[in-house]
Amino acid sequence: MRRSMIFCLVTTLAVAGCGVGEQPAATPASGGKVELSFLVFETPNLNAAFWDAAIARASAKVPGVTIKKLVTPNVDRTGYAKQLDASGHLPDILQSVNPAGFAEAGKLAAFTDDELKNFIAPKAGAVGGKVYQLPYNTQVIPVVYYNKDDFAKAGITETPKTYKDLLDVSAKLKAKGITPFVVGGGGADTWADMYPLTATVATDVYAKTPDWLTQRRDGKVKFTDPDFTKAAQKVADLAKQGYIDPAGLSRSYADTEQAFRDGKGAMYPMGSWFATSADNTKPNFEIGAFPWPSDDGTPVTPTFTGGGTSVSASAPNVELAKKWALAFDEDKENNDAFVKLDGSIPAIKGYTPPADMGPVYQATVAIYQQGMTDNSIVNAFSQETGDGSLPPGLADKSALGVQDLITGKKSAAEFASYLDDQWAKATQ
Amino acid sequence: MTATQHGPRGEVVPAAPRPSHAPARRASRIGPRLGRFGLFALPGLLAYVVFVLIPIGMTGYYSFTNRNPFNPPTKWVGLRNYGELFGDQEFRQALLNTVIITVIVTLLANVGGLLIAMLLDRPTKLYVALRGIFFTPVVLSAVVISVIWQAVLTDDGLLNSLLRGLGVERPPGWLSDPDLALYSIAWILTWQMLGFCVVVYLAGLQGVPRELQEAAAIDGAGRLARFRSVTWPMLAPALTINTVMLLITGFKAYDQIQVITNGGPGTGTTSTMAFQIVQTAFTGNHIGYSSAMAAVMLALVATVSVIVLRLLQRREVTQ
Repeated sequence: MRRSMIFCLVTTLAVAGCGVGEQPAATPASGGKVELSFLVFETPNLNAAFWDAAIARASAKVPGVTIKKLVTPNVDRTGYAKQLDASGHLPDILQSVNPAGFAEAGKLAAFTDDELKNFIAPKAGAVGGKVYQLPYNTQVIPVVYYNKDDFAKAGITETPKTYKDLLDVSAKLKAKGITPFVVGGGGADTWADMYPLTATVATDVYAKTPDWLTQRRDGKVKFTDPDFTKAAQKVADLAKQGYIDPAGLSRSYADTEQAFRDGKGAMYPMGSWFATSADNTKPNFEIGAFPWPSDDGTPVTPTFTGGGTSVSASAPNVELAKKWALAFDEDKENNDAFVKLDGSIPAIKGYTPPADMGPVYQATVAIYQQGMTDNSIVNAFSQETGDGSLPPGLADKSALGVQDLITGKKSAAEFASYLDDQWAKATQ
Repeated sequence: MTATQHGPRGEVVPAAPRPSHAPARRASRIGPRLGRFGLFALPGLLAYVVFVLIPIGMTGYYSFTNRNPFNPPTKWVGLRNYGELFGDQEFRQALLNTVIITVIVTLLANVGGLLIAMLLDRPTKLYVALRGIFFTPVVLSAVVISVIWQAVLTDDGLLNSLLRGLGVERPPGWLSDPDLALYSIAWILTWQMLGFCVVVYLAGLQGVPRELQEAAAIDGAGRLARFRSVTWPMLAPALTINTVMLLITGFKAYDQIQVITNGGPGTGTTSTMAFQIVQTAFTGNHIGYSSAMAAVMLALVATVSVIVLRLLQRREVTQ
């Protein structure tokens, strides 16, 4: 009896002990390899097959590593990474997780200058001068994708060059019974509604003050300042004039993309990742692309550079994990896949996209290259990483606030004031 | 004092005298059995301590700190989090939304469940099959239900397509209209819990003695009078179970909001206490502050559940 009691007790303690405070596996996998967990996210463009193939290619280049793929439950990989971290299970390698907060808390390993030598913008997204996420690609956020058939139906012969032109185009489309803009952001994809505001903040705030968010952090500017309020007012006015349909706010990101394909609106302000999706799954109309115009037509190109892999400072073998991360982000075939499936514009020296890329991708890259030529590149609001980025959680709050702007629940001034309040709460 | 007990017809009768040596004998029997059965209870007890009691204790502790895993060190702040909580407009809105959802779910699911149970209280195979159908949502995961209802209620969803087909030019934005979204969420929760209520009320209905109904009918009681004076009082235990379960379901509403609206459309429109806690903890990184929210929510749910339980149980005794 006593022996069986001891057996039960030991078994119970062993079972209860499992999983409590357990750290990510440092377990040597078969053949003496180190197992590293890798957090990825799946979208309609970046599906499971893509990640599996990309992981296999990088692993082939770094012997001694076995990758255990973890998939986020939705595209909010940063939120999920925080949950895993809170339970002591921060993955060893993380894909496209905003390093803000993680880096300052010493949870990520910094990449050295030598490790970053192949990247075009090696200091993009730096935190205190150090880079914790590989700046492997650039995205233009947003590009305005448009339905050429709808433009033709409304008698529009050229793309808008100024903001007034954009309003004229919208008025003509509406007069023909065509909803000018497709904007979504339902369910967990609230972020998808941000892009009109990202565009107006670029043209009305960042074009004048490129380091505006850094100044906001230093208390030199506020959201309630006239420039930012004007940017918010533009979005509110677009909705008020019926150019954005608030009913679209119930659509998820995938449904919003589908709504544009289904012809439910003529213009779709979205990140440049939509380009290859448009090329790969063509709707029954031709798609064009133009940059969101500023008031006087001065070119402004909001972009984000970064988005690559990060490595946990507590990975079982940090150097090996960094080596694998670099192999993953620098691999030509992986980048080709990112380009073809997700419209990525790789920011790696000497990289050239596949020659057979479709017309929407080509048009998108042309906008980016024109931005480089014009020297009109600015940050994309709410997408920033590193020192000049929003405090944790504020991007989500902004996206919810934009819904209020679109539904008319908040005026531009109230929205700006709300953001100042949320900033204070987030940084207290 | 004389001990009493209830007889078969509810009358009070004196209890049989208890042998004076019974407690000692029982204690001597319980001792070894406690050791033996305690061994079997140990895994469950350990799991309860590790996964329920310790986290509750940790939450209580964190609620008095400024814990933020991304901004160490953690400092003791006393009651500051609780003080800020009651001036926090977002938390108050989340609390209000939670109360609205809870009231709607508790009322609608109870009334709907009772009506459907009365319709299904028949012994034929068709009604048995219908009971299974009504119970299906209860066994589905909240995420599956959310995805189904999202497909139904979005602007381009099944319901609006149907309404457009019927000639409604601009059907309501069930999930995109800030004035409707909360009620849509409450409806989804009600729909999910309806089957549970149906089953509990059916069990209650089947426990109502036929002879009581017949006696009331012979005495001239109509359908309504029979329901009011015979059926409804006999359903008191079922009402207690359903109400408490529905209250708890309403108070902890999270999954549906996370999947369907993410707290929107707009700021705080469908945000509930549970949703607000997760957002504050894992998006805003304010673990200390969110722990204070969780402690308030725990206290609130426990208090309301105990009060309602007591009130309904008292009703069971008096009827």
